[in-house]
Amino acid sequence: MTTWWLIFILGTLTAVFFGFIWIVVTLSRLGGGGKVGGKRSTEDLNKSYSDIVEEDATHLFNKEFREELRNRGRLRFEKIIDENAMFLKQDLDMTIAQLNEYMKKQISSKLEQEFAAYSKAMGEAQELAIDSLKKTATDVEQQRNAMVDAMQKEVTARETAMIDVYQENMAKIIEHYLQSSLGETIDLNSQLPYIIARMEENKKDMVEDMRL
Amino acid sequence: MSEEGLSRYVFPPSLVSRADISRLARELENLENEVEAQRVRGAEKAGYHLPAFSTPFAEFLDQNKLDVTDAQTRMHLTRDLRALKDKTPIIHLTFATDANPVILQQLTEWIREQIHPQALLSIGLQPGLVGGVYVRTPNKVHDFSFKAMLEEKHSVMLKELDGLNGR
Repeated sequence: MTTWWLIFILGTLTAVFFGFIWIVVTLSRLGGGGKVGGKRSTEDLNKSYSDIVEEDATHLFNKEFREELRNRGRLRFEKIIDENAMFLKQDLDMTIAQLNEYMKKQISSKLEQEFAAYSKAMGEAQELAIDSLKKTATDVEQQRNAMVDAMQKEVTARETAMIDVYQENMAKIIEHYLQSSLGETIDLNSQLPYIIARMEENKKDMVEDMRL
Repeated sequence: MSEEGLSRYVFPPSLVSRADISRLARELENLENEVEAQRVRGAEKAGYHLPAFSTPFAEFLDQNKLDVTDAQTRMHLTRDLRALKDKTPIIHLTFATDANPVILQQLTEWIREQIHPQALLSIGLQPGLVGGVYVRTPNKVHDFSFKAMLEEKHSVMLKELDGLNGR
């Protein structure tokens, strides 16, 4: 609809323009017939033309027509603003989408870098921990071996000492053992033959001692 | 009284220790008092009512054929018992466990047959001996205990143990 209005206005302006040209050509032809008194009539003619044009212009661009043109211009301007706003919105959406994509890429890249650094640091820390554990295990194994050796030596020394003490105190140990295990079970009835036999062996000494 | 006079007394197996001699002397003293009381009351010698004697005293009187109704005999016996208590040789026997009277009587019989007819025993207890007996005569000591036997065999045990340890 706007295009038709524009064509209509342009057609009107073109018709007015060609009408004006026709009027000018006609008046020139009329002025060429009397050269002496022509200057004055030309000036009058120009004046009358100007008045006519002015009157036509006033008649053509009257108040209603100007209001109509203003409304049309306002509508056109609003349309242009809407279109520009739409274009701006599209551009803005596209920009936002591109910006989001860019941000995603940047964030992903940054995160990948951070994750890579983190993974590297974790790997290094894990290697350090493994090395530390290996070292600790080695130390513990060495200490365990040393402790086993020391305990073995200690046990051997104690065993030797106990055997020595046992051998040195064999009579006491056996005496204590016999006393604790047999002292209350062997009565004098069973010992009497042994006692009499031993006294019989030493009877001579005992008799001589009793005679003194 | 001489020691030859004292040696005529025969000790029964139930008379083991010096305390038994003292017990005989005390029992004889009681008898003397009883007989004297009956005599004062006018009883005749044949009519004395004698108290019951203990087994060692009865055996001692029986084996030595003593008549305690006779005052002279009682007087001599009282004197001799006091002498025997002080002069009779004593053998000290130390055991690892308590010795019952039967064992002591058997040992007393053997000692009086083989060592001395009037020997008295003094009994001691020492669990450290483990077994056997520790004999002490007036001047000598004879250790027949298991403890002494083990100490004697100490070197043998050490030798055997060294052999087991491969030394």
